[in-house]
Amino acid sequence: MANKIPLFLLIPSSKETTPRGSGKMRLSFLEKGIHHFARVVKEGYIQWECSSRNGFFQKIDARVKILFLLSFILMVSLKKDMVSEVGISILVFMLALLSRLNLLQVYKKVLLLGFLFGFLVALPSAFNVITSGEIILPIVNLSRPYQLWIYHLPQEIGITRQGAYGVAMLTLRVMNSLSLSLLILYTTPFHEIIRALKVLKIPNSFLMVIMLCYRYLFILAKTVGEMHLAKKSRVMREITSTEARGWVVGRVAFMFRKTRLRCEEVFKAMLARGFSDSLQFYGFPAMQKADWAVASLFFCLGIFFLWI
Amino acid sequence: MVDLIRLENVSYRYYDHIHALCEVSLEIAMGENFAIVGANGSGKSTLLQIMAGLIYPAEGRVLFQDIELSERALRDKGFTRWFRQCMGYVFQDSDVQLFCPTVLDEILYGPLQLETGEQEALKRAYEVMEMLQIEHLKDRPPSMLSEGEKKRVAIGSVLSMNPEVLLLDEPTNDLDPRTQVFLVELLLALNEAGKTIVFATHDLELVSELADRVAVLSENHRIVRIDNTENILSDQDLLLEVNLIHEHVHRHGKIVHRHLHFHPLPHKHED
Repeated sequence: MANKIPLFLLIPSSKETTPRGSGKMRLSFLEKGIHHFARVVKEGYIQWECSSRNGFFQKIDARVKILFLLSFILMVSLKKDMVSEVGISILVFMLALLSRLNLLQVYKKVLLLGFLFGFLVALPSAFNVITSGEIILPIVNLSRPYQLWIYHLPQEIGITRQGAYGVAMLTLRVMNSLSLSLLILYTTPFHEIIRALKVLKIPNSFLMVIMLCYRYLFILAKTVGEMHLAKKSRVMREITSTEARGWVVGRVAFMFRKTRLRCEEVFKAMLARGFSDSLQFYGFPAMQKADWAVASLFFCLGIFFLWI
Repeated sequence: MVDLIRLENVSYRYYDHIHALCEVSLEIAMGENFAIVGANGSGKSTLLQIMAGLIYPAEGRVLFQDIELSERALRDKGFTRWFRQCMGYVFQDSDVQLFCPTVLDEILYGPLQLETGEQEALKRAYEVMEMLQIEHLKDRPPSMLSEGEKKRVAIGSVLSMNPEVLLLDEPTNDLDPRTQVFLVELLLALNEAGKTIVFATHDLELVSELADRVAVLSENHRIVRIDNTENILSDQDLLLEVNLIHEHVHRHGKIVHRHLHFHPLPHKHED
């Protein structure tokens, strides 16, 4: 073997002085994208870690939590008064606190998504162009009112009391729904959420598909991370967007091929372990007294919020 | 010998929580054949990736030729180019490493990036393919290769850049015996040619055949000992403690007997 080593490999490649300069490498869109994708795994880990903590909500049976989530989300969407929405916000905050969740982490997400999908979406309806009513904040004064096809532009354009109330309600509804969902997500292991969905009579095959997808997401994120590191170890200069796109296309094709093969292997493994067309899940144990007590408490709270 | 790679109290955690390495310190000299051994999940791959400047430690320092490898240093274009050329990394899973359309493109990728010129790049590629006995595969896409062939191409893609250091993660995993022998001979020849070889494995046979010095990682992600290969492989208590050998029962003809499972260790069959 020794005499087969090519001559260029016998010449030391590194220079004695380390070259510096030629500017800084910019982070490519590829690198940023992969960092975001890697966060999927991190989020999964955070969710698992939070759900394993010794908190109030973590101890409750997942079926109670799922029913609590669905009934309260329904209530949040149906109620038309601000008091009950604020009341539900306070309740969820208290539950998150008792469950020892990282409030900053949870509410950062709630506020951001609430702002994007609640406040911004509903904001136009605050103006008297859409919602007529008493103007509390005038913005533009036109010389005269205009009629554009079926649209009417009044002389004074501004935010109305009724419009502002509507925006606040919608934003609160979005934020409450989000905080309720995150509360369940951070206090219940994913596999228990899936099993608890059985109380809603969701077919086992559908639950199995969700579980496989969730599991595959982590494998995918890990493989993508490794592919990125392998690329990084061989890249000696800043890569252009065109090169990065070329690499992404090639790797997507590779992942597609690999996923198809894995899909076949998983199916064979399932067949080898006795899979037939009917899927059976391990059932839940009977609910404890504490679970019944909490379920009753949530039921009473639900009635209270419906009543006020 | 001059220290080429030095790690000072390096710690690394996945997702800021799971410990992968705890206060690891070691030095690797130029031209050394160095093995990192440990059970599954002990942090071998993480350690190699830190040495290669692919990930950065949460605590501690990594130095290559006395220059600290930090995120900031590896943002410098000149330094990155020099460092990546010096340090070749062969991944455990060759599939993640091979991303070009054909084997020839794969091996040409490095030299073309180094702007060695097309003729010189092609010359290098053909010489490397001849050495690795993969010339007949040059027009094949990597997906159409066996695991052994993929490993040869992965090594070729790194060697064509003429790195000073070769980092190999579990190099003999999933390889047939003939390819394993080929790889051991290749790594010994490259080491004789002056390349520094660092590899991570839990295969003690490979360690006995290749390594001059060995670092042993425990299951709690710490270096428990660094010593020459003979001393490490003869310390059965240490190997048992770090889960690299185990006691096992097997049959020889009519005799069933029990011994530590590691074939390079001599064992007697009781009558």
